Order: sequence, then structure tokens, then C-alpha cells
Amino acid sequence: MAARGLLLASIYLSLLVHECYGVTLFSSLQKTLQVTTTTKRGQVLKAGEDKLTITWGLNQSLAAGTDSAYKTMKLQLCFAPVSQKDRAWRKTEDHLNKDKTCSFKIVEKPYNKSLQTLDWIIESDVPTATYFVRAYALNAERHEVAYGQSTNDQKTTNLFDIQAITGRHASLDIASVCFSVFSVVALFGFFFHEKRKARMSPQK
Amino acid sequence: MADTENTPGNSMHGVSAKEKAFAFSVASPIMPTDPIAKFKLPVDSEHKAKVFKIFSLASPHMTTFHLSWLSFFTCFVSTFAAAPLVPIIRDNLNLIKTDIGNAGIASVSGSIFSRLVMGAVCDLLGPRYGCAFLIMLSAPTVFSMVFVSSARGYIAARFMIGFSLATFVSCQYWMSTMFNGKIIGLVNGTAAGWGNMGGGITQLLTPFIYELIRRAGATPFTAWRIAFFAPGCLHVIMGILVLTLGQDLPDGNLNTLQKKGDVPTDKFPKVLWYAITNYRTWIFVLLYGMSLGIELTIDNVIAEYFFDRFNLKLHTAGVIAATFGMANIFARPLGGLMSDMAARPFGMRGRLWNLYIVQTLGGIFCICLGRASTLPLSILSMILFSITTQAACGATFGIIPFISRRSLGVISGLTGAGGNFGSGLTQLLFFTSSRHSTATGISLMGIMIVCCTFPVALVHFPQWGSMFLPATKDSEKSKEEYYYGAEWNEEEKQRGLHHGSLKFAENSRSERGKRVGSDPTPISATPAPV
Repeated sequence: MAARGLLLASIYLSLLVHECYGVTLFSSLQKTLQVTTTTKRGQVLKAGEDKLTITWGLNQSLAAGTDSAYKTMKLQLCFAPVSQKDRAWRKTEDHLNKDKTCSFKIVEKPYNKSLQTLDWIIESDVPTATYFVRAYALNAERHEVAYGQSTNDQKTTNLFDIQAITGRHASLDIASVCFSVFSVVALFGFFFHEKRKARMSPQK
Repeated sequence: MADTENTPGNSMHGVSAKEKAFAFSVASPIMPTDPIAKFKLPVDSEHKAKVFKIFSLASPHMTTFHLSWLSFFTCFVSTFAAAPLVPIIRDNLNLIKTDIGNAGIASVSGSIFSRLVMGAVCDLLGPRYGCAFLIMLSAPTVFSMVFVSSARGYIAARFMIGFSLATFVSCQYWMSTMFNGKIIGLVNGTAAGWGNMGGGITQLLTPFIYELIRRAGATPFTAWRIAFFAPGCLHVIMGILVLTLGQDLPDGNLNTLQKKGDVPTDKFPKVLWYAITNYRTWIFVLLYGMSLGIELTIDNVIAEYFFDRFNLKLHTAGVIAATFGMANIFARPLGGLMSDMAARPFGMRGRLWNLYIVQTLGGIFCICLGRASTLPLSILSMILFSITTQAACGATFGIIPFISRRSLGVISGLTGAGGNFGSGLTQLLFFTSSRHSTATGISLMGIMIVCCTFPVALVHFPQWGSMFLPATKDSEKSKEEYYYGAEWNEEEKQRGLHHGSLKFAENSRSERGKRVGSDPTPISATPAPV
């Protein structure tokens, strides 16, 4: 009973703590950054093998001083709407704390005024889906203040596909077959052995 | 047998004040101990144990208990092993919501069929082979998760792994052959409850194994596959233990005894006929769908519910999900214990009332869970809901062994299948379409539980009564021998095939409750065969 009470209390507390965090809305961010990716239409990149080249930085045509609060830049891989359909765990929410659109962090670096380029080898835990890239600028309190993305506002242009690794290995397949065969053989071995013993024992 | 029969005034229960208050044992001379049998535990005339010593390994009774619940536990672990790993699996296999929902339904549907078959297998081949065959033949299905690369493969694998839940039937059947009727409620409840706990433990175990494998260097999409080797190997180990250490009946194995002529072989069509023509079977199929069925549905749905509704972290939601399943460690045995305790003064009528009250409370707390909008209230409702629903499962199997002696296996199988059918049906009705939220679905499910528990009132035993009616006054029909003897026709009785049922009838007289001492003891009519 005490354990239950403790569990209840700790969950309640953690929820309160969670609520105290900053409530940044995506719609309140300024689109001051530009992000481009060098992918061709219909190209499928392989996770774990292929590279994604990303160029990002402040939109040079804006007035000086726009970026005075920017301390860190965060690049993220985000799901396109077609990959969010029927998948509530990838849903877009305005509250950035609850937003699940951009689940994969590509890189996080201190802010630099000039245009940056990165060749990113797609990591092996990226699922098969259609993506775009988004950059967030964070201030000193690590809250998002500005963003930019490699697609338009409706998220329809310049999307690219990534094909995930299967996760299967030949060694695993072989081990699985061996264990299965052992199980079946052991069972029938026992069964027929006992049947033979019963048949051979004298009947009353 | 030299021991005294139950005659009025001879019951010593309560006189010395040293008798245990709880139904962990059956004292003589309420249930005469067989003095000839050489077992480590005191046994009755069928050589079933009268005492339930949980932490003992005494062969064959307690060994059977531990083998039985561990096998069932293993199958629960492997059937629900995928549930906490779904966030990784859904990315690896590119699943959508419908795929995940269908896999959940598939995981409980497979065993509808296998539980029916298992009932027959236990009646004909014995629970030891039934359990061993199932657990070792389903090990390849667990290992097959390694090959899965699409939604279809995932659903198929979960469907096939789900077949292994039929070990429930062999578990309950095996307990009924090894333990006396007065403590069967507690024994069955404990064995099944500890087995069901596997569904809760797996929510903690599988993520833990997955994390270990990841730390060892595997990528996520490979690590979850390797994690399935753990439940797979458990299947093989438990199967071997069951074959080497287990036996079907207290006196030996079924095929040995059948050859010796001690246990007559029965015909499956007859066994099936007496199961399906007994109306009580079908009422319990429905009832169990509303207790175990609901429990399985919640196992599949609750972590996601807490994650979404209260925005908890995945592992926090997993801990809560595990708590639901792990309440089984005491909740289900509690239901069996309450059944046995209610039976002491009130007999079978007490058992029926106990089941009705506990299961209806489960439905009410389910409604509360759906409607609770704050986290603490939601967790409280879930805990009360888990305890009452799981106690209802235990209480159900405190009654099932008394419905029939001849067709116990098939009835256990049908009831178990009903449980799984209830789970598939409730998942389909309330948790697959987007017409209503998960919270509304839970509340509606609670209302369904309350409504579908009313039929308990219709279960009537002529010799013991029902919830609202007392036992019949007819001198012939009010005997237990008449009820259990009715499952055999004249020809079979001539051949003496019904002696097992007669022995059982004698031992089941305790279900009269307090009336046992005041009724005259019936004279044993049929002479032993020469």
C-alpha cells in the first residue's frame, strides 16, 4: 500500500515538473532561417549507408541584428504529412513540447552567422518514411526562437524518402532456425522414447 | 478405507480453535485423508492434495503446481512481449495504427481455437503432454519474430505466438487433478494469477533486455529481434522441465494408468456432448469473456492510453501498464480464496454471489477509469479495476471444476476460449475505430461488463441451488451423485466407467456449505467392480 502511494505521488510530481517547462508554440516562431537539401525528386536514400547534404544558415536578406538572441542551432529530420497519416505517434502539435513531427536530431551546433554545410550519414534507427529537414535556433535558455525548413509551409515540395535497414541478419536467422529445430526434435524425441518405454513395460 | 464418513455431529471443525482461518488446507475428518496413500502431502480418496503449501516442491502435487504456473507465465511473457516494444517495431516495419490494432486482436484470437483443442487434448492425452507439446511447438513461432519484415508478417507471428495461451487450460486442468475441491479455488486462482502476471512482467522485462542488447552495440532494429530469443528459450526450457519432472495424475502418467486399467479411456464425442449440452458452460463462456477478456484487452491498450491521455513518458506508461498486470500476483488468488471462503458457510451459492459481486464491481471501476480526467484518480480507478476483474477470473475457476466431472477439460477449454473471444470482441468494438476516444471506449466496455454479468443468476445446481433459489427438495435430484452420474448412460454405468465421477461427487459434498453435517450420508449404491 505504501509503495502504491509512493508511485502515485512520484507520478503526480513528475507531471507537475513537466508542466512547468516553457510552453513554446511553433506558430510563434519566426521563419528566419533557410535550409536546403541536395536530394533529387524520387530519390530513395538508404539508412546507414547514404549521405544527406544539408546547407543551412540565416536568411541573408534579413536586417542585421535579427539573430542577436540565437545561441545554438539544431537540425532535425522531420516527417512529411504522408508519413504522419494513420500514425498518431508522429502527430504535429503547436506546443513544441508535445510536437512529434521532428523526432530525429541530425546535429546541434553553436550558432554561426555564415552558411553551414553538413554531409550527414543517415543513422540506422531512422524508419522508412518521407522526410524534410528543419532547423531551429535556440536562445540562451534553450528555447526555440526561430526556424527554417527545406520544404514549403504546406510541406509538399522538396521531400525525400529514406529506406530503413531491415534489422535482420543472416546469423540471427540461422540461430533462430537452429533453436526452433532443437525444440521440435527434443519434444518428439521425448515423446517417442516414452511411448517405446510404455510399450515395452509388462501390462497387468 | 478405514476412515470415518461424514456423519452428523462428527465434524471437528472449529472445536479446537487451531484450524486455519483461510482455505489453505482441508482438515480431517471434513475430508477424510486416505491413510494408505504414500504422498508427502495429506491426500483425499482420489489422491488429490488437501493442503496447499506454496513454497514447497513436494512431488507430485507442488512440483506440478510450480511447473504449471511457470509454463503459463512463460506463454504470457512471449504473447505480450511485443507490446512494450511497439514504438521500435512500428518504425522498423512501417506500421500504421490499424496494423498495430490488428496485431493486438490477432495475439488473443489465436488461442480461441487452441484453447478448445487443448481441452480435448487434456481429456484424452493428459495435461502433461498437452502443456509440453504446446509450449515446445510454439517456441519456433517466438523465434520467427527474427524474420518478420512487414505488417503482415508481424500480425501472423503474433497470431501464432498467441496459440500458446492455451497452456492456461492445461494449467487449470492439471491443478484440478492434483488438488482437492475444497481448496481448488485458491490453487487455480494462484496458478492462473501468477501465470497472468507474465503479461505485466513482460512490460518491464522486454524493454530491459532490449536496452541491454542495445548497450552491447546492436542497432535498435536488430536489438528488438534478438530480445525475442529470451522468451523463446524460456519456452524450450519449461517444455523440457514439464516432460522430465511432471506427471498427469497423483498416481502416475495417464498412458501408464490407462494401460494398467486404472483410468478408463473416454470417447471424445461423448465428452464434447456433455460439455456443450450443459447450459452452464455457455454462461461461463460469456462471463469469462467479461473478466479475462477485459484483462487481455487492457494489457494491449493501457500503456498507450496513459501515454496519450496524460502525456507521460513511454517508460512511465510502461510501469503503470506493468502494475495492472502484476496485481495478478495476489488479486486472482484472492478471488479464488474468497470463493473458497464463501463456500464454507454458503456452499456453491456463496461462490456464485462472490463472482457476481466482484465482477460487477470490476465493471463499475472500469467505467470510472474511462471517465477519470486526472492522473491520480485514473491510476486509483485502474488499480481497483485490476484487483476486482482479476479476482473475478479467480472466482470463475473456483466454480468451473464443479460444472462437470467428465468434461472438465472441454469446459475449461471453452471457457478459456470465451475469455479470448471477449478480448478480441472488445478490442474490435471499442478500440479499433476512431468513432470514439479510447477513454469513451473504456467506459462503454465497463457498461458492457456490468450488463453481461447478470447471467450468473441463471446458473442453478439442483443439489446446491443458485443465487436466488435454494437446492431442490427432490430426494433423488438433490444428491451430488445424481448430478455427476447423469453424465453417464446405463451401459457405461454397468461397465463401471463412472466411478471417478462418484468419487468426485463424494468429495464435492462440501459445496452444500453448512448443511453438510445435517444431511444423512447417502449409501454408496454401486458395488466396486470385480
